[in-house]
Amino acid sequence: MQVKVLFFGRLREIVGRAEESAEIAPGARIEDLFAGFRERHPELAPFRPSLVASRNQEFAPWSEPLAPGDEIAFLPPVSGG
Amino acid sequence: MSAPAEDLVQIVRQPIDPLALMNHVRGPGDGAVAGFDGCVRDNSTGRSTLYLEYEGYEPMARVKMLEICAQMREKFAIHRVAIVHRLGRLEIGETSVFIAVSAPHRGPAFEACRYAIDTLKRIVPIWKKEFFADGAVWADGEIPPSGNPGAPAGV
Repeated sequence: MQVKVLFFGRLREIVGRAEESAEIAPGARIEDLFAGFRERHPELAPFRPSLVASRNQEFAPWSEPLAPGDEIAFLPPVSGG
Repeated sequence: MSAPAEDLVQIVRQPIDPLALMNHVRGPGDGAVAGFDGCVRDNSTGRSTLYLEYEGYEPMARVKMLEICAQMREKFAIHRVAIVHRLGRLEIGETSVFIAVSAPHRGPAFEACRYAIDTLKRIVPIWKKEFFADGAVWADGEIPPSGNPGAPAGV
């Protein structure tokens, strides 16, 4: 199934794009999606402990399963304001 | 979620007009309008800042800013709220975020305004990059609460 994946801040710089489309197996979780990107971009790995994931614009646990058409974002520690 | 018709929540890429926002929330029943102006400082972590760049997950940032407005109404006796955050390149002294709150009395106006900026800085998906003469860094940020209440970040 296909999901949209968004990257911000330093993650966007590492991946080289703000937005990616990913093809993943049914039953895959947010954690699995990140692992896929980490394999292609090993520089992402050290950021994992400080990231929060969102699914369809709500914070979501890494264990949450994905659905087709989901919009997932990996969010570095926020620094607005 | 939508705000009461009178609240104003925006993400912009132009200079912010603080006075216009203070006037937007002001109403005849208000005895107080409190404002917070978040501006770009000329130094950070011991270095001179040249400028900042702000980036945001705009749709989710708007959702979170609207949630903050709703929380403000639950906690404080206030009337109207305006929260505007600017993205893109900001020069020293420019306003990156402005929050205006009106209320019949000054206590709730001040408290709600403080609550708004403190919460924005914890949960709104916006990031700033600091540019110095000798390089640039993404600012250290706050890890927002995850989807699991009570779970540590990253779980």
